[in-house]
Amino acid sequence: MKKIKARDFIYVASYIVVFIVSLFIGRLWFSPFGMNGINKIIFIDVRLPRAIIVSLAGASLGLAGIAFQNLFRNYLAGPGILGVTSGSAFGAVFAILIFQFNPYLIQSSSFIFGIIAVVLAYKLGSLIGKGLLSLILAGMVVSAIFGGFIGLAKYLADPYNKLPTIVFWLLGSFSGIRWIDVEVSFLPMVIGIVGLISMRWVFNILSLGDEEATALGINAKRWRIAAIILATLCSSAATSVGGMIAWIGLVSPHIARLMTGVDNKKLVPMTAIVGAFLLLVCDTVARSLTASEIPLSIVTDFVGAPILFIILVKRRKMYYVKD
Amino acid sequence: MLRIENIHFSYGKDEVLKSVTLSLNASMNCLLGPNGSGKSTLLKIITGILPPRCGTIRTEKVDILNLSPRERSKMISYVPQEFSINFPYKVSDVVLMGRNPYINLLEGPKTDDEKIVLHYLRLLNIENLKDKPFTHLSGGQKRMVLIARGLAQEGKIMLFDEPTMSLDFKNQLLVLTVIEKISKKFNKCVLLSLHDPNLALLFCDELFLLKGGKIIREGIPNKTITEESMMELYNLKTLLVSTSNERSFVVPKKDFLNTLFLGEKDDFRKNRKKDTSAPERRS
Repeated sequence: MKKIKARDFIYVASYIVVFIVSLFIGRLWFSPFGMNGINKIIFIDVRLPRAIIVSLAGASLGLAGIAFQNLFRNYLAGPGILGVTSGSAFGAVFAILIFQFNPYLIQSSSFIFGIIAVVLAYKLGSLIGKGLLSLILAGMVVSAIFGGFIGLAKYLADPYNKLPTIVFWLLGSFSGIRWIDVEVSFLPMVIGIVGLISMRWVFNILSLGDEEATALGINAKRWRIAAIILATLCSSAATSVGGMIAWIGLVSPHIARLMTGVDNKKLVPMTAIVGAFLLLVCDTVARSLTASEIPLSIVTDFVGAPILFIILVKRRKMYYVKD
Repeated sequence: MLRIENIHFSYGKDEVLKSVTLSLNASMNCLLGPNGSGKSTLLKIITGILPPRCGTIRTEKVDILNLSPRERSKMISYVPQEFSINFPYKVSDVVLMGRNPYINLLEGPKTDDEKIVLHYLRLLNIENLKDKPFTHLSGGQKRMVLIARGLAQEGKIMLFDEPTMSLDFKNQLLVLTVIEKISKKFNKCVLLSLHDPNLALLFCDELFLLKGGKIIREGIPNKTITEESMMELYNLKTLLVSTSNERSFVVPKKDFLNTLFLGEKDDFRKNRKKDTSAPERRS
């Protein structure tokens, strides 16, 4: 027990190191010693809020991923499985298209539509049937519908003024985050993260399926809804502030499994740390590599997909081949 | 120990259980019946996985149907027919999940729970499997682990849905011997469903024959399993054979099987003769 704690400490510590180091890296590199006026402003008003929001978003996406992987008992479930990502994306695109550019409005609209998408998936799913499969199918339908609306919005958008904003947002980015942007997404992300981490034991039971979970004495339906609400809350908040971010929600649980195994007691908190770590690294790369910022999803695509592939090859026996 | 009265259940329009009434008094109680007779449904209703349309389930003191899932799971352990575990949890983690009714859901299990898990793994002689991933075990081993999980739940009533399913001949006997021993040693009330009347004859104290959602006969196995009752339950002609130690076994009549399943008896025989003679000619 104590040995495990020492190892966990190393993971947390390495995240903290990345967090601190990322504050001094960027287009402007500076040392923690002898910060002058402008460096201090960049440090406190630009990089600090951004690092905090990025970490929370990474943890949120990772946790939403692990929550859905457990609920649907499938390794390939991600945060977007019930349509939350496409819903959020549509909300943001809609706000960009209709209103004057206003980050606050974009975030709120994105957040609300993310939740609407999941509620819709839930309602449509109940028309198909009772099981989890109908929920996944309904999620696909909802994603497709919102995807269609996003395409329509891009087609209709003013190509000089609004289209670049939409495209940039759809590729994900945390650029321009200030303390004031923290307001919309901070609370839902923290609630989601704390809630999902405290459900870590329940995820073990839920991952057995509704029947066995009931036999082991939990109200499976109620806990499942709680998990969906929390995951939706934090992943739509993360999407609303950072745009569409690919791969983090799917890959973080897989990386965390390498470190802790599949027991959710340890896996869930570790997924949060890995998600935060990974997104922070990707975001730091995205904003430091070139003179103008690279959209975040380009970096997460190039980082996430190979990592997943390596893990799948390395662990194929453990997860997939039952011989 | 457990009194189940007038249980009705239907999936949509299909009435699966029609006024099922039974009392579990012995330690090894068995449900025997053809596929789709409602065995699994009945076990799920007792567990609380499915709600009955009407009826009561109670012990001397408590009305089971009014209990919360948590309280209910402290009284009733359920060992499912299929293995629904998709993730490679360690065996000890799987058994630990059986402690769930006693665990604070937000805090997780305590070291005491882990000790209890170890105790039951030892009891079933599967301590060596403790760190193995569940998904990589053989069918027989998986069944033993789920039995250990049921024991860790420490319910007085234990339900087993076809515990012999997809096990080889020896493992079927192993699992049933273990279940029988548990029921006697810890004074548990076991209700299990089986497909093989001979296993029921070997291991059970009290038998309930279920057909079309109704209990058609009940009693001690030797009295309940007769040539007539097998006809009634499965529409099969059988022979009851007694061995020297006063046990009896059901043997199906081969001729009857041929007529029943293949229709034209004589044609089939001719064909079979041809088949067997073919290799001889070649040699």
